[in-house]
Amino acid sequence: MVERLRRMLVKEFLQLLRDPRMRFVVFVVPVIQTLVFGYAVNMDVRDYPAVVVDLDRSPRSRALLSGMTASGAFRFVMDTRDMEAAAGMLDRGDAGAIFRVDPGFGGDVEAGRPGKLQMIIDGSDANSARIAIDYASRIVARHAAELRSRSGGAPARRPGGIVLVPRAAFNPNLESRKGFVPGVIAMVVMLLTLMLTSMAIVREKEIGTIEQILVSPISPTEFILGKTIPFAIIGYIDVVIVALVAVFWFDVPMRGSIPILFLGTTCFFLCTLGIGLLISTVSRTQQQAMLTVFLVYFPAILLSGFMFPIANMPPFARVLTLADPLRYYLVIVRSIFLKGAGMAILWPQIAALFGMGIATLAFAVSRFRKTSA
Amino acid sequence: MNGGSEAPAVVVRELTRAFGEFVAVDRVSFTVARGEIFGFLGPNGAGKSTTIRMLCGLLSPTSGEGTVAGFDLRTGAETIKKHIGYMSQRFSLYDDLTVEENIDFFAGIYGVPADRKGERKDRVLRMAGLLERRASRTAYLPAGWKQRLALGCAILHDPPVLFLDEPTAGVDPLRRRAFWELIHEMAETGTTVFVTTHYMDEASSCDRLGLIDGGKIVALGTPEELRNRFMKGAVLEVRTSRPEDAAVLLETFPGVRSAALFGNTVHAVVDDPGAAASVASLLSTGGLADATVVPITPSLEDVFVSLVEGGRPDGVPGGEGTE
Amino acid sequence: MNLRRTWAVARKETLHVARDPRSLALAIALPVLMMLLYGYALRLDVDDVPLAVWDRSGTPQSRELVARFSGSRYFRVGGIRGGYREIEQSIARGDVLAALVIPDDFTAKLAGAGGAPVQLLLDGSDSNTATVVLGYAEIVTQRYSGDVRLRMAAAAGVALPREPLAFRPRVWFNEEMTSRNFIIPGLIAVIMMVISAMLTSLTVAKEWEQGTMEPLIATPLQPSELVIGKLVPYFALGMLDVLLCVAAGELLFQVPLRGSGALLFGMAAVFLVGALTLGMLFSIVAKSQMLATQMAMVMTFVPGFLLSGFVFPIWSMPVPVQAATRLIPARYFVSLLRGIYLKGAGLSVLAGEASLLVLFGVVVVGLSIRKFRKKLE
Repeated sequence: MVERLRRMLVKEFLQLLRDPRMRFVVFVVPVIQTLVFGYAVNMDVRDYPAVVVDLDRSPRSRALLSGMTASGAFRFVMDTRDMEAAAGMLDRGDAGAIFRVDPGFGGDVEAGRPGKLQMIIDGSDANSARIAIDYASRIVARHAAELRSRSGGAPARRPGGIVLVPRAAFNPNLESRKGFVPGVIAMVVMLLTLMLTSMAIVREKEIGTIEQILVSPISPTEFILGKTIPFAIIGYIDVVIVALVAVFWFDVPMRGSIPILFLGTTCFFLCTLGIGLLISTVSRTQQQAMLTVFLVYFPAILLSGFMFPIANMPPFARVLTLADPLRYYLVIVRSIFLKGAGMAILWPQIAALFGMGIATLAFAVSRFRKTSA
Repeated sequence: MNGGSEAPAVVVRELTRAFGEFVAVDRVSFTVARGEIFGFLGPNGAGKSTTIRMLCGLLSPTSGEGTVAGFDLRTGAETIKKHIGYMSQRFSLYDDLTVEENIDFFAGIYGVPADRKGERKDRVLRMAGLLERRASRTAYLPAGWKQRLALGCAILHDPPVLFLDEPTAGVDPLRRRAFWELIHEMAETGTTVFVTTHYMDEASSCDRLGLIDGGKIVALGTPEELRNRFMKGAVLEVRTSRPEDAAVLLETFPGVRSAALFGNTVHAVVDDPGAAASVASLLSTGGLADATVVPITPSLEDVFVSLVEGGRPDGVPGGEGTE
Repeated sequence: MNLRRTWAVARKETLHVARDPRSLALAIALPVLMMLLYGYALRLDVDDVPLAVWDRSGTPQSRELVARFSGSRYFRVGGIRGGYREIEQSIARGDVLAALVIPDDFTAKLAGAGGAPVQLLLDGSDSNTATVVLGYAEIVTQRYSGDVRLRMAAAAGVALPREPLAFRPRVWFNEEMTSRNFIIPGLIAVIMMVISAMLTSLTVAKEWEQGTMEPLIATPLQPSELVIGKLVPYFALGMLDVLLCVAAGELLFQVPLRGSGALLFGMAAVFLVGALTLGMLFSIVAKSQMLATQMAMVMTFVPGFLLSGFVFPIWSMPVPVQAATRLIPARYFVSLLRGIYLKGAGLSVLAGEASLLVLFGVVVVGLSIRKFRKKLE
């Protein structure tokens, strides 16, 4: 049995990795993906492109507006007096916001009347828009405090009131990259293992080689092991490669234990390989298999909490997330990397993955037995 | 309608195709006349399919030149495709399409005019004996039917030259014979048929034969010529109860060029046709007293074996991979 | 190019599609399913944030602050007694996204010069949500501060100095800043990008694998006829998908379509040609279904999600990555759809994106035709 299995493994590796383009897809592309996405996946608002319509053109207005760019949050892409032109920039999406100062702003401020700053923002990207408004209002508030302290000699911080002292655990500077990069690992590895496995059996069915294998003394279990172990090994290699990129390139801290990461990854692979095999056994063509992978993978990402916090989802969706292996793996990866969490915290996730993995694998094997018997 | 209606159907000179280090077809030259059934005979991996694929424009020759239907192989590959029909060894049809849909598809691809499409389709369906099964999915057809459908799809446009690569592989003998009747019918109407095979009986019903081995043409001529001219020496048929031992023994005799098993008998190629008696006595001294030795007219198979090094006397059925 | 031959290929390909009902059903149902799932479940608006409060002060003032938090629509407040250990654990488990700690000297310090510090602990591992939550918490505490000051000033009988600046934000195009309005148009683009590449990424590779390509390339069929013929049924399928997605956006999610529907479908058609042919290009280059699907997934799925501007704003990306997004056709389609949906923009405004989409289509079609070799190698 060991010998047959060994042969099977050798065959699978040969078939998979003979094509240099496949080697590229399997080993190099995940690294490129992690690099690109590590940089791209970023909800921080920086360099938000804005148009300035300063109809006042006084030192006062200049000072306020230059405060907007000083922090790096905004970048002025146009400075005009023409409101039409500014609106056109927003229409085309060349700018996300307009800062408009009406004539008389300087005079108002000098005279102690509130000077008005209007911000028109493109709400079509509601998320960034909200953050940008938030930034702008903070910058205005800071500027107002300075104005007060200079003019009235009053202290910048007035007596009374409360001061919010934020402290972000695990990621003190709230860099979104540190939160996302471990997530990208999970996403990339899931896609790879799911895709490869789901094609594995259906491919032999389509080409017709499966009959030859089934008439040989190889047992269904051996066959399935032979079909999954290579992909699991490739999955592990990819996890290691991608994790190295995360730690050494993106400075994502690795605070937790590597054995637990390995354990969690193994349980996660049980699920992805099980699902992949199941898809492969129930599909007749590679086309069907691929579309079914899509059917599984697309919601898996959505419900994992990778981009969209689970806490925000409506109750029915929150229930659905419980069936999403990526959800658990994401928690495991993020917690091990950023929080240094141990088994005490992660055991429910690992147990869930293990249970789901064993169940899907067993189901896949029994389905395969039935269809091939 | 084509530029070279007077030219031979196929002319190749020094045609060569290499895959990396491996030379699959090595400086092959031959000519096929119009209306001829030209058989390309050779063991698996000899370069038959590679040659046919070059002639159909599916592979570019590494060197050498040639014309098919009067058009140059190197510059006119696309024009050639309008004047040929090609049937690959796998009878590759669309399994999820019906018989009729497959025919319609190829009729469209070959640009069969609409007013003649119906008649051609009927003819092909009748020829393939698929009139009643025109609405069946191709996937469910037995191999023999698929083969005739594949042939039908390849001749929808009445090509002057037809290339058939191992057209009878995996088909039962009865169907094979019927298939060859079709090929003869087509040749009678003027179609040139270029066919590869490793069945000797099929080879003998060709007008002319090219024998290829190791990428090289080793013999060229009518079956008759091949039997007479290319057979160096005479053939002795040895009958004995222990043919395997006889073959081993024969190889050691002086004057015996080769010995090979042919069913229950052994064929020995000898320099001197009158050696039958001396061979018989040598065999009986070697312990095979029951051996009878008779000189026979060489069959194509004998020619084949004598010409092909490390001869494989029985045609090995099944597909062949040339790459 | 010969129309008869192209048509023969198109008909044959349509039959293939029709003969595989499961794939056909998946191709039609998937986009709709994704729209439903994403449309309903996906909300970027952060509200109802589970917040743990540890009130060590226990005074009327601290209780008022807590009430401000629980009264705002942003937070869902739960009390905690177990101190930092409990807070850390519930954050690590993900039970709460943030915790508010009110120190015991809160009320005493409230009137002092330095103000009363309250601590907000956030789960930084989801930094995006953390940033938004922090913003909300600041709004709540600032309002409370302002009120406290007003009361103090009133008690002391002095007028507060007027604010020197007034900030007036105004939102265009998506006045309510509903994230659904922003997500749905982008989602249509991303779904179509992925679906179309998947639909076609197998068509050519499959013929190579099954051996049907060999007789095909021995016929006069030209690469352009093959590529365009194969495109026809998938184009029809893709347009049906777009129609279903737009209908779902309209009927189920009430996303306002302010621009022209004709323009929307016109642009979708241009995009589909490019995206479908891209899938076919993978198929032509790979010649193996396994590799082709890997390529299609890798090149369309994750980039479509992450680099198209669908969720992550392109202008915050580093310059080289921004340059990379220019190669993602979904990027142009996302901004086109948002422009048409939310801004009601016409072709004159969107000409830039539209022409890039056309260019993409032309390049991909041209490349596919060139890359398709009528040779066995």
